[in-house]
Amino acid sequence: MRKPRLSWILVAFLLAGLLAAPVSALAEKPVKMGFVYIMSGPFSTYGQFAKQGAQLAIDEINAQGGILGRQVEAYFEDSTGKADVAVRAIRKLVYQNGVDVLIGLDSSGVAKTVVPTIPEMKTPLIITHAATPDVTGSLCNKYTFRISVNINQNIKAAALLAAESQAQTWSTIGPDYAFGHQSWEYFKKYLKEKKPDAVFLPDDKVAFAPIKTTDFSAYITKLMESKPDGVLVSLWGGNLIDFVRQADAMGFFQSGTQVLMTLGAATEVLYALGDKMPEGIWVGTRYWFLGNDTPQNVAFRKAYQKRFGQFPSYNAQGAYAAVLTYKAAAEKAKSTDKEAIAAALAGLTVTLPVGTITLRPEDHQALTDAFWGRTAADSAYPIRILKPFKVFPAQDVTPPADTTGCNLR
Amino acid sequence: MEAFAVNLLNGCSWGMLLFLIAVGLTTVFGVLGVLNFAHGSFFMLGAYGSMQIMHLFNSFWLGLLVGPALIALLGMALEMGLLRRVYGRDVSYQLLLTFALLLVLDDAVRIIWGPAYHVVEAPPLLAGSFAFFTHSYPVYRLFLVAAGPLLGLCLWAFFRFTHWGKIIRAAAMDRDMAEGVGIRVPLLFTLVFGLGTWLAAVGGALAAPHQSVGPSMGERVIIESFIVVVVGGLGSFPGAFVGALILGLIESFGTVFAGRAQMALPYILLAVVLLLRPRGLFGREA
Amino acid sequence: MSARGFSGSVIATLVLLALLLLGPCILPIYWTMIVTEIFIMGLFSMSFNLLFGFSGLLSFGQAGFFGIGAYTAALLIQTGFPSLWLIIFCSVLVAALFALAIGYLCVRRDEIFFAMLTLGFGMMLFTIAHNWRELTGGSDGMPLCSVPPVRLPGIEWSLFPPVHVYYFTLFWTAAGVFILWRVVRSPFGLMLTAVRENKQRLAFVGADVSRIRLAAFVIAGGLAGLAGVLFCVFNRMATPDFMHWAFSARPVLMTILGGSGVFFGPAWGAAIFFCLEQLVTAFTENWMIVLGLILIPVVIFFPQGIVGTLVQWLGDRKESRS
Repeated sequence: MRKPRLSWILVAFLLAGLLAAPVSALAEKPVKMGFVYIMSGPFSTYGQFAKQGAQLAIDEINAQGGILGRQVEAYFEDSTGKADVAVRAIRKLVYQNGVDVLIGLDSSGVAKTVVPTIPEMKTPLIITHAATPDVTGSLCNKYTFRISVNINQNIKAAALLAAESQAQTWSTIGPDYAFGHQSWEYFKKYLKEKKPDAVFLPDDKVAFAPIKTTDFSAYITKLMESKPDGVLVSLWGGNLIDFVRQADAMGFFQSGTQVLMTLGAATEVLYALGDKMPEGIWVGTRYWFLGNDTPQNVAFRKAYQKRFGQFPSYNAQGAYAAVLTYKAAAEKAKSTDKEAIAAALAGLTVTLPVGTITLRPEDHQALTDAFWGRTAADSAYPIRILKPFKVFPAQDVTPPADTTGCNLR
Repeated sequence: MEAFAVNLLNGCSWGMLLFLIAVGLTTVFGVLGVLNFAHGSFFMLGAYGSMQIMHLFNSFWLGLLVGPALIALLGMALEMGLLRRVYGRDVSYQLLLTFALLLVLDDAVRIIWGPAYHVVEAPPLLAGSFAFFTHSYPVYRLFLVAAGPLLGLCLWAFFRFTHWGKIIRAAAMDRDMAEGVGIRVPLLFTLVFGLGTWLAAVGGALAAPHQSVGPSMGERVIIESFIVVVVGGLGSFPGAFVGALILGLIESFGTVFAGRAQMALPYILLAVVLLLRPRGLFGREA
Repeated sequence: MSARGFSGSVIATLVLLALLLLGPCILPIYWTMIVTEIFIMGLFSMSFNLLFGFSGLLSFGQAGFFGIGAYTAALLIQTGFPSLWLIIFCSVLVAALFALAIGYLCVRRDEIFFAMLTLGFGMMLFTIAHNWRELTGGSDGMPLCSVPPVRLPGIEWSLFPPVHVYYFTLFWTAAGVFILWRVVRSPFGLMLTAVRENKQRLAFVGADVSRIRLAAFVIAGGLAGLAGVLFCVFNRMATPDFMHWAFSARPVLMTILGGSGVFFGPAWGAAIFFCLEQLVTAFTENWMIVLGLILIPVVIFFPQGIVGTLVQWLGDRKESRS
């Protein structure tokens, strides 16, 4: 006789829950933006930067009268860096919060698995961080855009640098997941084009470390044993910090090897390492706060530093820039209708702190410059800065639209 | 030959760090019968705690001394407040309670210190590197290789020869009997848990100059230290030492031979040992 | 249980089913999707509880079989396999076969050793999914741009709209739960409980303990695989995360939250878990700390879980009245 009573109670609860279930709000006064980044867990530093950048942009826009005269409202969701959670977050933003645009995505894996679900939501998505070529390649769709540098662009610039250097034999150390392997494959492809006699170490000589690695000594030993002239380092974040310190202690940077770190100029890495970042290393980034002195970048840099006490990281700039990009698209379309925005974003040219970018209509990838520089000490800054700083123009590093595998028609 | 020697050294230093973490885990399991999921979080707290002290007083050694002691106090408080209530229960409840603790502690660290990465410097005495064949090898790593066995030896002597050590061993063997002869077992358990957390925190403090301090530190070591403890034999002291050494060496040499299976090596080791010798290399018969 | 009690239970279940059938008419679309996810994780947790609650085996590798189901389905869909029925059948079969092989090695161990062994095997599966880039797409996982429609004689039902996915999932979850219910109520189910209560005694009376456990392991693995297929269809993806030990921890948490001693406890645990998560993340990003702070008192004071405690409380009250 116990069971039925409990079941009834639970049924009653469920009924009450159904009746009380929130009905999605209908009033659509403000422009709603939904942000999906990694807000918690080990990589939350990226999400927190993005949130700061987004807030700065939204506050500035709202102070100047909003978008098309409407105030902007932000909704932040946590992807936790996992694809299923990110999909749920996006569904919440679209169906529950009724956002007009989605902005975000840190991890390539998440981007790759989430992008195919975007067409069913019929909401424009602006990717600001994830670098996998596929989301503006084989998986591209009408609603998905990327304003940040992708792996192709970043690595093409690395290959151009490598071609200029004396180094003949190349090796790599990268994270043991798609990003690390893709970086190495593209590097080989692009350097081979520029310098056909370049030699690449075989797969059993290069080093790929699982992302949970904290002790890189075995990988560093492996690299140093094979004595390459140049090494492409595609580690990032905490892995890169561990690698740099341990490699420095083992004399790796003193061995005369040419080192290219594809994400070495990320400010979270530079701040953590401080003066322990070796000088004279080539490091790449998606955005460099001293990269240009246009009024827009100077204003952004100053405002960000004043409010958050640090120089803006590339992810902060990414979210900031995405908000501005949306504003430009809305003004071009004279509407916030999702279809109109998606149409306006295609082919849009907009000036951002990072520089002027164009969202290529064929595959929705931004034509954006790639940045590399050599680490140097400067007493005016608490972190290593880049001197000299090299800009690789978008047209030199972006693969032609007909080679990306994207077919929007 | 040279590569072999360097890899051997790499494996040993990583193994000894694992040993420092695992030895606390195995001690707590041996006496309290609890497999502590939050052990990695105490490792992380040790790193953050000692980093904080180091920044305040600008001394590595003071941080190493004070930081882990504070974390041990926290551990003892948690044992008295929470863990004590589930001793009689099934293992799964203890695992779950400590898993819940892990969730709380990991998030708390992120809230207190923020999500950014931090870097701790080795003390001047241990900074720099020495020539090793044609390589240069950091002094601090050698210090780690030495610190593991040294601490292990101290612990062994403590359990073997001191009054308290003997009491703890007695309580581990037969709780009721120990209570019968007048040992205050609950107090003892608290102290042992404190010792376990202290060991984890010392591991964290010692790891700090060698790796970046960040909110994922604990998560990264917990499963590996579980593997060490199970492979060595739950509750076994020499087992933790040998298990840690084996795992360290396998991971180090695995970079040379394992290729894509690298990531699975610890789990393969775990499965093979459990299938062939379920009580672990040095475990007592259950 | 009296005859009247039984019929009452059936009526309550039917009313519940009717409510769930009406769900999408009442619920906003986002909540329809959350309930879909609750079905899937509920089925996953209940299949886990066949091992944990009914057999006393704490498995930390169930995500491996969940992932096998998801990946098999994703691979079949990607190769253009047209029949969804066959895809589901094959995926469950493959998951069950993996469970048979791994279970054969694991079921002789108890308690913590069983937990660690299943953890080890689960993580090996994870490594395969993560590193076999040519087959599984590696760490990025497998995105699916479309899923074949449900084909019944005369009907073709697309799984694009969320509401269709809801009913599809409800149907298969109900089927999975029905199988579990039959298993638990069968003589075999009684034997399982007996193994949990006293392994030695059962061995003395001539039962093959390992074989009983293995059978439970295979059923649980197959149903975890079914949950994996549903998750793959629902999210249109398969990623290595589905196989990680952190994913295996989900059904454990949900089961403890709901209660391992009640048949539907794990499913209610899943519902509680998701509703709490929605509630908490509306206010803070630190969902984990809140979850931990909720779990601690549940484990200490309500070891039978929230629903389990409710059942017991109602039972006690009734007994004291009579």
